[in-house]
Amino acid sequence: MTATPASAATRPHYGGTLRVMMQSSPATLELPENAAPGDYWDIARTLSLVGDTLVTLDAQAKPHPALAVAWQSDPITRQCQFTLRRGVKFHDGSAASPAAIEQILAAIHPGWNVRASADSVIIECNKEDGKDSEKSMSSLLAELALPRNLLLKRDKNDSGKPIGTGPFLVAEWQPGKLLRLAANEESWAGRPFLDAIAIEFGKSLRDQAVALELDKADVIETAPQTATGAGSDRRAETFASLPIELLALVFPQSSKAQDPRLREALALAIDRKPIQSVLLKGAGELAASILPNWMTGYAALFPKQPDPQRARSLLADSRQPPLNPGSTLDLSAALNLSYDPRDPQAQLIAERIALNAREVGITLRVSLAGAEDIRLVRIALPSSDPETSIAQAARQLGLPQPAPGADSIDALYRAERSLLATNTVIPLFHLPVADTAGPRVREWNVNAGEWNEAGLPLADFWLADRRPDQGRSELPSNNAGPEAGSR
Amino acid sequence: MSFRKKLLLLFASTVLICVVVISASVYSSIRGSFEQADRERAYAVAAQFRAEFERRAAEVERKVESVAASETVQHIALEMNRDGTGSGEYVGAALSLAAQQQLDFLELVDDRGTILSSAQWQAKFGYPESAVSASAGSDISAPPEAFLKHEELPDGPSLGLFAVRATRVAEKPLYVIGGQRLDQRFLSTLDIPTGTRVLLYQNLDTKWNPRTLLDLNGPAAGVDQIAPLVEKVRDTHREFQAVIHWTSDPADAEVFHAIPLIAALSAATSADDAKQPLMAVLLVGSSRRPLIELQRQIVSTALLVGGVGILAAVVASLWFAARVTRPVVSLADAARRVAAGDLGAKVDVESGDELGELAASFNRMTEDLVQQKERTLQAERVAAWRELARRLAHELKNPLFPLQVTVENLMRARQKSPEIFDEVFAEGTATLLAEINHLKTIVGRFSEFSKMPQPQPRPTQLNDVVGSVARVFHGQLANRPEDKKISLHTELADALPEISADSDLLHRALENLVLNAIDAMPEGGELTIRTGRIADCVELSVSDTGSGLTEDECGRLFTPYYTTKQYGTGLGLAIVQSIVSDHGGKISVESVKEKGTTFRIQLPCDFRAYSASLR
Repeated sequence: MTATPASAATRPHYGGTLRVMMQSSPATLELPENAAPGDYWDIARTLSLVGDTLVTLDAQAKPHPALAVAWQSDPITRQCQFTLRRGVKFHDGSAASPAAIEQILAAIHPGWNVRASADSVIIECNKEDGKDSEKSMSSLLAELALPRNLLLKRDKNDSGKPIGTGPFLVAEWQPGKLLRLAANEESWAGRPFLDAIAIEFGKSLRDQAVALELDKADVIETAPQTATGAGSDRRAETFASLPIELLALVFPQSSKAQDPRLREALALAIDRKPIQSVLLKGAGELAASILPNWMTGYAALFPKQPDPQRARSLLADSRQPPLNPGSTLDLSAALNLSYDPRDPQAQLIAERIALNAREVGITLRVSLAGAEDIRLVRIALPSSDPETSIAQAARQLGLPQPAPGADSIDALYRAERSLLATNTVIPLFHLPVADTAGPRVREWNVNAGEWNEAGLPLADFWLADRRPDQGRSELPSNNAGPEAGSR
Repeated sequence: MSFRKKLLLLFASTVLICVVVISASVYSSIRGSFEQADRERAYAVAAQFRAEFERRAAEVERKVESVAASETVQHIALEMNRDGTGSGEYVGAALSLAAQQQLDFLELVDDRGTILSSAQWQAKFGYPESAVSASAGSDISAPPEAFLKHEELPDGPSLGLFAVRATRVAEKPLYVIGGQRLDQRFLSTLDIPTGTRVLLYQNLDTKWNPRTLLDLNGPAAGVDQIAPLVEKVRDTHREFQAVIHWTSDPADAEVFHAIPLIAALSAATSADDAKQPLMAVLLVGSSRRPLIELQRQIVSTALLVGGVGILAAVVASLWFAARVTRPVVSLADAARRVAAGDLGAKVDVESGDELGELAASFNRMTEDLVQQKERTLQAERVAAWRELARRLAHELKNPLFPLQVTVENLMRARQKSPEIFDEVFAEGTATLLAEINHLKTIVGRFSEFSKMPQPQPRPTQLNDVVGSVARVFHGQLANRPEDKKISLHTELADALPEISADSDLLHRALENLVLNAIDAMPEGGELTIRTGRIADCVELSVSDTGSGLTEDECGRLFTPYYTTKQYGTGLGLAIVQSIVSDHGGKISVESVKEKGTTFRIQLPCDFRAYSASLR
């Protein structure tokens, strides 16, 4: 993201506390395994304020320097060497030396062979994966750009508080409630405009919207449909990312729907368009594939149109007795469709799916109680690199990992086809992540739809009006310095 | 059965029949009243249901009109006319509007009949709504009044009371379809009398489904017995009534009135009803427990009253019957005494009714009988004396004549032929002595008859008596001339029991009979003596083959002094009859002219018992 030149009227101000609200309520400041997308993004964006990765990816999966300023791979030794940025220090004052980085990476990936070498770290690529060195480097860069590879140390004396090299350091941590971040005066990217960021956790979307309306929050999370909806508050601005989440139906191993024809019938019964246009208010994209079209370009090859007639035909051939028209429901024989109760739209979407299913003779009961036969899930696609994302998605959806070597588009397509062949996963929509910022927030010049792997770039914000207790003075326009707005 | 018992039975039967008839009548009357009350209660509940139904219908219509006139709906209608509502901006509008108006169902439907927003199933947007249907492809028809409808919900169809109103702010109308659920909450608003319950069968399925039968608490359990009644209403769309027995106890039964509820509330005629789809069946049940308990109470009371009544009737009838039958009993006793020979029996009845008259007549009758008997006895006595005099005259006249002739011969010989006087004297004295002996015999017989002793009973074997008599007469019969031979046979029964009798008197009686039999066979014949046993008696018969007797002779045979013999006294058989009678036995005679005569004597085995019974 590039900041717009600051005019006199929009000259950045230093100081102030950015008030942020989030739905999740993490007990620890660690990226959870198999987390819901909301939790995942919340922790990822929070930790990205504290730490840095070696590299970052843009929407085209192109790598950009972060703590590593250069990298190269040796096709003979199959080693990747990352040259580290000089003079970078952790928040505790220790140097972000190759040895320190090596130690952190080795802890994150015990199976990797990581070595420190002068001003760089060397990671030995797996010799058995059959990839050429160029592809291995590409995959490694995508992996290293993931939030889980943020280079953070843990303060053993302060309940594992993360210590990183990012623009903010942890000043106060109340698990599940509040995280107060203070500006890192010695950030390698330059001192941020904000003095602090206060993140309140565990706030529902409704509470966040009310808080924004009452000027008790500056940045809140928003349902994706709100981002494109009419009637948004003119004083606030909403940002939606590229579709980086997948909403899908997943059949667990214990599901009663073991007949693939039944699952295919359900996939063909769902009319996605009304859901997207009405319930999601046009947000996101219809999906019949795991990866979004912006990531692969082949999503159109997966049919998304409903075919109730074929669904009925398949259902008639399946072992599932079709629903008798004009009869009351035998809910004991119904398939139990569960959803994420924290997702405000999930129940309605699930009920619409049940309605579509009933049209072709499949009885679904939308319920959170009892054993689930079908689950409406939303997963994060954490990387703009399709190979990395499909591997992560397969893991979250309970699908087998795609075969190694699915790094070309054709191979990726075949791998995804293979994953979806049994209809144990029925992709429905690709959804963006949306945030809304209040009128105090400046530098809100994010290009809508641009990839942001860890949420909004909070570190680049500044506040138009400072509170009386936020003591730093406004920077003179000529002192903006080369660091200001350069992130 | 005595007259008193008959009277008692009559009284008791009368009381019992009265109690039964009155109880049956009361029960029938009460049962009719209960059934009438049941019907009235059912109709009252049904009327109340309909009134509540109409009130709810009006309320739903009012609420739907209110929604249709709301600013939100007007705004949506305006937006729909402007650019359509395809973005789903108002998908949640119906839910908040329904909450405001407390409607269970609310849908906003566009001019093409497509649901824009649904409160009851939010996900149903974009689906067609059946309550408003496009006719001729352009115009929409919607029922003007409230109606019943099955509404599809996520957990299955449900029955609701709906109303439709249109909002027109521009060319395209926006339809508001709102309603309230017709379920147990609706039933709970009814004021149901005690002992009555209301069930609502939601006709959601093509066949009987017990899960759609609701009571005040939700789905009614254990009500499969009611299925046939519901099926009848489903088939005919008409009201029916049936008694449903839930258990073997009839008090647990209920009378159910089943009332069909069709889609349109204002269907005018039954013909219209039949065309309308059946939405539900209202079942008004009245417990039969009060009726059955009253019936049981009536039965127990009737039994108690009947029992007490019968007891009272028995006591009263005993007293009454005793009072009524006392003269009759007295009459009966007196009659028995008269029959036993006590002609002095009197009936002491003072009542002036028919029984008193009967008693007086009875007393007069006994008095007449006494007088008649005395007259008869007097006449018999006179007759007996006359007979005795005749017999005496006859018996004495016969010897007197020879005496007179002999004495006259002696006198004539002395006067006229003294030479032969001695010879005549000798003959004459011999004749005189013979005739005097004859007279002595006659006197002796009479004396003997008058001195007949009382029997001295002791164990006696009749066969021994017969043997003794037979031995006496064997010698006598053996000396008879050959042409006048009489053969004596005895046929004695084996193992004949001993009897209590006076063997000497029996011996004498048997001798008389044997002598009679011998006298009856002057030309010879056969004389047979037989013994045998008949029941508690032994029988002795003496048969001869003589000339026999006429019937008249048989009738007079035992009359004293009656004889068929030239020189008989007529006392032989009288003595036999007297001895037999003194032993409690009886004697009979059978005779066939020119064939012979048989005398049969039957004696009781236990003469002492007979004597005791006489005492």
